[in-house]
Amino acid sequence: MSHVTPLGMSISQGRWEHAAEILERLDPAAAAEAFITLPFEDQQGLFRKLPIPLAAALAGDLPYYQTYVLLHSRPQADVIAIVDAMNPDDRVQFFDQLPQETWQQLMDELAEGPEAASAEEAAKAIEAGAPVVAPPVHEEPIIEARAIEKSFQREGSGAIQVIAPTDLAIEPGVIVALLGASGSGKSTLLRMLAGLTPPSGGEVLWHKRPIRECRPNAAIVFQSFALFPWLTVLENVEAPLEAQAMKITDRHRRALRALSSVGLKGFESAYPKELSGGMKQRAGFARALAVEPEVLFMDEPFSALDVLTAESLRGELLELWLGKKIPTRSIFLVTHNIEEAVMLADRIIVLSRNPAKIRADFRVPLAHPREHNSPEFLLYVDYIYKLMTQPDRQPGLPSAAPAARMPYPPLPNIHSGTISGLLELLNDRGGKDDLYHIADDLQMGINNLLPLVESATMLSFARTDRGDLELTPTGKAFAEADISTRKRLFREASLANVPLLKHIYSVLTAKSDHRMPVEFFRDILQEHLSEAEAQQQIETALDWGRYANLFAYDSESERLSLHQAAPAEETESVTRA
Amino acid sequence: MSHSTETRSARLAPWSASRGGVASLLRDLPILASGLALFYGLVILSRYWASPVNSQPEIHLSPRALPGYALYSVARITAAYILSLIVTLIYAYVAAHNSRAERFMIPLLDTLQSIPVLSFLPSVMVSMVALFPGRQLGIELGSIVLIFTGQVWNMAFSVYSSMKSVPTDLLEASQAYGLSWWQKLVQLELPYSAIGLVWNSMMSVAGGWFFLMACEMFVLGNHDLRLPGLGSYLQTAANAGDTGAILWGLAAMVAVIILMDQLIWRPAIAWSQKFKFEQVEATDVPRSPILDLLRRSRVIARAERAFLMPARERLTLHFAAVHDRERPDSPRSSPLKWPGRVIAGAALAGVAYAVWRMVFALATLSHSDLLSILQGAGATFLRVEFSLLLAGLWTIPVGVYIGTRPRLAAVAQPIAQVTASIPATALFPIVLLLLIRAGGGLGIASIVLLLLGTQWYVLFNVIAGASALPTDLREVCDAFGLTKIERWRKFILPGIFPYLITGFITASGGAWNASIVAEYVHFRGETFSTTGLGAVISHATDAGQISVLLGATAVMAALVVTLNRLVWRRLYFLASTRFKLEA
Repeated sequence: MSHVTPLGMSISQGRWEHAAEILERLDPAAAAEAFITLPFEDQQGLFRKLPIPLAAALAGDLPYYQTYVLLHSRPQADVIAIVDAMNPDDRVQFFDQLPQETWQQLMDELAEGPEAASAEEAAKAIEAGAPVVAPPVHEEPIIEARAIEKSFQREGSGAIQVIAPTDLAIEPGVIVALLGASGSGKSTLLRMLAGLTPPSGGEVLWHKRPIRECRPNAAIVFQSFALFPWLTVLENVEAPLEAQAMKITDRHRRALRALSSVGLKGFESAYPKELSGGMKQRAGFARALAVEPEVLFMDEPFSALDVLTAESLRGELLELWLGKKIPTRSIFLVTHNIEEAVMLADRIIVLSRNPAKIRADFRVPLAHPREHNSPEFLLYVDYIYKLMTQPDRQPGLPSAAPAARMPYPPLPNIHSGTISGLLELLNDRGGKDDLYHIADDLQMGINNLLPLVESATMLSFARTDRGDLELTPTGKAFAEADISTRKRLFREASLANVPLLKHIYSVLTAKSDHRMPVEFFRDILQEHLSEAEAQQQIETALDWGRYANLFAYDSESERLSLHQAAPAEETESVTRA
Repeated sequence: MSHSTETRSARLAPWSASRGGVASLLRDLPILASGLALFYGLVILSRYWASPVNSQPEIHLSPRALPGYALYSVARITAAYILSLIVTLIYAYVAAHNSRAERFMIPLLDTLQSIPVLSFLPSVMVSMVALFPGRQLGIELGSIVLIFTGQVWNMAFSVYSSMKSVPTDLLEASQAYGLSWWQKLVQLELPYSAIGLVWNSMMSVAGGWFFLMACEMFVLGNHDLRLPGLGSYLQTAANAGDTGAILWGLAAMVAVIILMDQLIWRPAIAWSQKFKFEQVEATDVPRSPILDLLRRSRVIARAERAFLMPARERLTLHFAAVHDRERPDSPRSSPLKWPGRVIAGAALAGVAYAVWRMVFALATLSHSDLLSILQGAGATFLRVEFSLLLAGLWTIPVGVYIGTRPRLAAVAQPIAQVTASIPATALFPIVLLLLIRAGGGLGIASIVLLLLGTQWYVLFNVIAGASALPTDLREVCDAFGLTKIERWRKFILPGIFPYLITGFITASGGAWNASIVAEYVHFRGETFSTTGLGAVISHATDAGQISVLLGATAVMAALVVTLNRLVWRRLYFLASTRFKLEA
């Protein structure tokens, strides 16, 4: 991706048709080669624009899982047309490679025929241009977000954009999962869609009316449950109904029905603190369901629960949803758990960070109930892992330049010791492993793993390769070294690869007294980051820099200073001792 | 479980639940009796308040008069507390919800909180008497307003900061589910503020006793403005040198304080535990037998069902309907917008006028007046700091000794609490009596008086700090064989530092307040005084020198506020960052 190809150029300029023409002019193998080197979000965007024959040719050359997911980012009529247009040999091979259930699913879709989706609407969706194309449109969307963005005003120095202008539509009848690493702004997006936070630009429409002017019939389930601890479970569930001025008898009936639907019958007079986490979240669900919302928003609803409880709650939610036992027409789920998204969602939207924008938006046409370890399930999980570990593309040409760019790539909030741990683990595994294996072994969600992986790759101790994490030679040397060598390697790596640390170090070297208040660097960072984020950057930089013996820090005077002794001698003396 | 079935059956047929009828009647008897007593007390009080002012109040020293005096004192405290509560809720709500008002309300609160209220005692009393000429009500209101100004600020600050720190997820939940401002107040903001409010109320009322005693003994020049109450009883007894009456008075004082603690504060604390913001149930929950009695009472349960619940229901539904009718895109920042604007405007105009007048009054100050004010300020400053030093010198070793021995602390704590609960101002006449008998002047006596008001805060905090010293660090000291001096320097003093500072801050505020009544005393028809700002204030009031009174009060307020900002706040910050023992 380092060299700029004509293909990449036209994509970054948003000239999809031109990009498609370039691909068409290449011979099929070269076209596939060029296509596969594109970032995922571009692959998806471009694939949607490709004429059927070219799409079919590419579909034959790509890995089967990628073909499958890309196919499902197009309207169903197109899926059928593309599969029909595939080279028969490729098609047989594609079908062969697909796991049994996935194949069956695809066969069912093909059998439904093209009349299931209107080709005209599909064509319109393609013309819309942006890389976001909604799944087949059957009904009017309930919520439509038009170019909503969010930025926070900073004192003095302009605004920081946390969410880039985003279009999004939520249709009835689907569970939509919004996936992203922590801090990617997915909760903010949810709050804008639910009308809790006004967007800084663009607008949110509920049934074609601006959300400010209507009272959206929505309910939210919170990660922290957000129950009032001084109210009983019943009073908690009744609170939103009281707010609707509902009479006491109706309120009681509705609340009791909601409670029994989530299995909390008999706990009406209990206080939240008497309940386990799972039970509390059930009460949270009951409160949300009692208002009979049209859209149910869920903000990481299972993240605070243990694995088994979360699993059973997810199952019960699906049962209510699939059995049409609740009048809710759409569910919008924010999560950082990839498996959870694949388990529940009919459509998955993946967000990138800084500022948040949609990287991918695709359907998950798997039948419920879904099995955790079934091949087609893993197909999606693997795909999303690859999507999320591939580095974000820098916005290429001036088309979308946000207010102010960070001078330094942000440091992931990870301790130096944790990085060593990861490298050792990877070394024990022979220097290379699947990311979701690692996540599994470390009992880490993508939320925690991604920043860790990011820090290892930032220091060039490891690199990601299509969902695998692999040690570099320095990384291997680090993993096998003793403590003083490690510090030396870490020092070299940070000076070479971490601009913030390099900057701090050069400022300290340049100053005659080799001292500097940490405030100075915090101020620079605060021009681009919020106070809390800048503080976090400083803390990580301090941790890394102290570990690397780059500088010393005195927390009382809040001053950084260069180490007195030359670092090389110092490490040697430590070794000798 | 049995509780809920009982209430349910009671709801179905209120009068037929005869089983256990006698027992439950007996249980409700104290509640009914206290209701009647309360009513009787109110009748007596209203008759007394409307009575014409008696310019030469006669205080009877017979112990039989004591219940009546106690009633008067408690009524003043109660009235002042209710006034404080109402103002607290309004002030805190407006400050927390209106960011424009917040910008001046909070700094104002901060300043008012640190101004020594007693410096206003003379002026408040005089103006209130002028407001209601010829009625007892005037002096009564004066004392109530004074107690109110002493206790409202920390309550308001507590409620304000609770309201500002309501967890985001709960706020979002109430926004997402469209709660009306009323429902949000009743179901979220008030419950979240409850615990802080109860604790601060307790502290405020304890402080209120301090001011009440001073008010009840107040004599202005040759106007005897004493109020019949425990304070004037104690003073009259000391004046007469009647040891028996002094003991009776003290006993009544302690009894009233213990009764209020048991009947009001314990139940209130136990009740407020319900509002603890916790996700897991705590093991050691404060309990109160009185609260259990109230909770089990059928009279109260029935009254709740008959009046409280329907009222709550109607209010909630009413405000929900109002909230629903409002256009959602025209959010009102606060339901008190217009009254708020009017009040803010009036307040601004009033402040501007007062400052204008004050500048005029101060301009008439002569050089000698200024000199005496500054001299007095210096003397009082030294006296206050010296009394703090004395307090520290004896309380630190004693407090650490008690605090590190849990068994001793269990015995000593309640005794110290009762002793400390007697307001220092109540003891002034007695101490004065003893010191004057012993032949010391007011110079020494005033320091003893200040010490009386300050030492307890420090002692309690030191005990608390010492008992919180972590065992593992103590064992480290043992393991490394630290000498006694090293141990104090490296472990004990840094360990109790945050507690010590908290104690000193409270004590310092108390000492400045006390200086006004300690430096200038009418006793046995004579006037004793010593050099000091408090004496200047009291003397100016007696002599009717309005400009000196204003100037001295302003200097004292400015001095205390500056000290708080420059010294105590910094020390407190240091204590809460560097010397905090984290788990």
